[in-house]
Amino acid sequence: MKNTQSELDAYERMKPGIITAAGFLGDDVRSLRDIIEADEEAMAQYGITFEHAADFLKFLKAAGQAGLGEPITVQSRYVVTVGDARGKLPCPWQDGLFHKNSVMVTDSKTDISIIYSDLSIHMLSVHHFCQGQGSPFRLNPEHLALLIK
Amino acid sequence: MAPLINPITLIFASIFTSNILLSNFLGMCSFISISKEWKSSLGLGLAVTFVLTITSAICWVVLYYIIIPLNIEYLSFIIFIIVIAAVVQILEMLIDRLSPALYLSLGIFLPLITVNCAILGAILFMQIRNYNFLQSIAFGFGSGTGWWLAIVLLAAIRERIEKNPVPAGLKGPGITMIVIGFMALAFMGFSGMIQVQ
Amino acid sequence: MNSFLIGPAVSAAITMVLALLITIIDKLVNNYGVVTIDINNGKKKLEVKGGSPLLLTLAGQGIFVPSACGGRGSCGACKVKVISDVGPHLPTELPYLSPDEVKQNVRLSCQIKVKKNIDIELPEVLFNVKKYKARVVSMRNVTYDIKEVLFELGNDVIQFAAGQYVQLVVPPYDKVKESVQRAYSMSSIPSDTRHVELLIRLVPGGIATTWVHTKLAVGMTVELIGPFGEFHVHDTPKTMICVAGGSGMAPFKSMLYDIAERNLYPDKEIWYFFGARTKKDMFYLDEMDALQKKLSRFHFVPALSEPQPDDKWQGETGIITDVLDRYIKEHIGKDNGLEGYLCGSPGMINACIKVMTAHGIRENEIYFDKFA
Repeated sequence: MKNTQSELDAYERMKPGIITAAGFLGDDVRSLRDIIEADEEAMAQYGITFEHAADFLKFLKAAGQAGLGEPITVQSRYVVTVGDARGKLPCPWQDGLFHKNSVMVTDSKTDISIIYSDLSIHMLSVHHFCQGQGSPFRLNPEHLALLIK
Repeated sequence: MAPLINPITLIFASIFTSNILLSNFLGMCSFISISKEWKSSLGLGLAVTFVLTITSAICWVVLYYIIIPLNIEYLSFIIFIIVIAAVVQILEMLIDRLSPALYLSLGIFLPLITVNCAILGAILFMQIRNYNFLQSIAFGFGSGTGWWLAIVLLAAIRERIEKNPVPAGLKGPGITMIVIGFMALAFMGFSGMIQVQ
Repeated sequence: MNSFLIGPAVSAAITMVLALLITIIDKLVNNYGVVTIDINNGKKKLEVKGGSPLLLTLAGQGIFVPSACGGRGSCGACKVKVISDVGPHLPTELPYLSPDEVKQNVRLSCQIKVKKNIDIELPEVLFNVKKYKARVVSMRNVTYDIKEVLFELGNDVIQFAAGQYVQLVVPPYDKVKESVQRAYSMSSIPSDTRHVELLIRLVPGGIATTWVHTKLAVGMTVELIGPFGEFHVHDTPKTMICVAGGSGMAPFKSMLYDIAERNLYPDKEIWYFFGARTKKDMFYLDEMDALQKKLSRFHFVPALSEPQPDDKWQGETGIITDVLDRYIKEHIGKDNGLEGYLCGSPGMINACIKVMTAHGIRENEIYFDKFA
């Protein structure tokens, strides 16, 4: 599948050292379109929508805020830590500026652990981008499905 | 022998009757990718006109005073490309120094143009059509202006299309190609009014 | 000469001539000569060679404007107010500037080039800022995710006020291709001018903290730039209420040791609330205990929000804001008035400000060091 110009541009900005030093692609060698399509298929297969997943991540973040930077248990299942860093990050698609933060969620039921930020939520809901394989901030559709269930 | 065409007529001819973009389909990649908003297409078109006028003059000199006397026409492509690249570099530096305002609107597009095939295309037309010096400049300026006109028109049309429901499969480049086809048809109406060869 | 050589020779010659031309024009055009940078309306004047970005030009003169990305236009930290005209804002600057800043001609100093005489405004404290070559002399895990790192500054000395921070320069490593800078509050005592101690908590996915936790080792030399920051103890008789969690401990450790060592502000009562989730997130209990014994007007209140059964926790429990609320209500004397000192995430700071203002502490007497 051919990538659009905006995807090619976004892909360039996702490389290490442009927006974040580690980049958004991990060690994934697929093109941006291929990554997004594979994840769209996977999400459909697990029966969750991107909006639903993004809302769920927003909910965990909001609940985790109560920990005031320290870990806190949400719904007696998820251990959530919301951390903030200095500065803001632009979206690789250049449609917004997001506060630099990290939300770490560990599910005590499945032992799945994910990390995400405001930018991750935006890219997930608007661009259907879960980040490349091997990226520390990758939101694996299977993990998202297991977390939500 | 240089064709018997008045440089002024040639300017109009290369803008309308043989528009380098819509009749020869040169410079398509930037034509499609930078035509999303008319402001940036205006800057890009300006840069193309500017570079095309200057490089066609320089390349004419290089062609008739170096390449032809030394009988190395088979290398003209590579020499033209080198000259274009160097001229763009120098222009970028000069504009940055002399006019920061112009650099802001035009300078960021300059590196893009180095690889624009419309530039090389126009210079090769100048070569095969045996234009003299004045005709070359006129042709370069006219082709650039024609390209500029076409990209601004396309950008204006695309901004309107943006607000209209386009079938999903045609969104983006698809509908743009169709629009370019219509524009080419419209410009075909001018053909035959002036003979360029 | 063989005719087939003429072609390559001519094209090579043309290329050379053009390259030469470019070099010459570059030298002529990009030579801006010596220009003057006027800082704070004549307070300081620098004669510098023009043509480089303002951030790098100032750094070359020993003035370090804080920057987290090191000049790549991706952090938006290196803002400087420019008074003279340096042209309109660039597209690369605008995403990081608010409309108000654009109006006041605040610029990203890494994006604007010094091409002619330029007048700028800088906070005075930046003149004290230096770049240090610092050697790691000890590293200790104070919790499973917080490291206490002690740096030795060699022959240099650092003058700082307790509560200030330094920027740690992280060199490129693994997939990270460019050096980055991150700010950390100093936890060392200001009287020890030859050392700097930092508390660095591992941020998941964080570039700098990952490097500190996996690559940094005793004996390595790194660059520190500082000191920066306005966070310090205010010399009033008011009771000082400090709240922190995690690595927010750092500035308070420095302040408390400083106060204890020199017996500063002898009338000041000090309350320090430190929140963590479980016992394994809690640290420096013994150190703070010892400090309490030494300094009778200091009261340390550690609190766990989710103590585990095997923590055998005897102290306070609950979210730190609730503990704070209870203590202000029941334990802290208000005769001298209260002032707040906070260090943590914006969420934590906002929550604490809410509690403190509800108890009548004025917002301009709550001082904080936001992580963001």
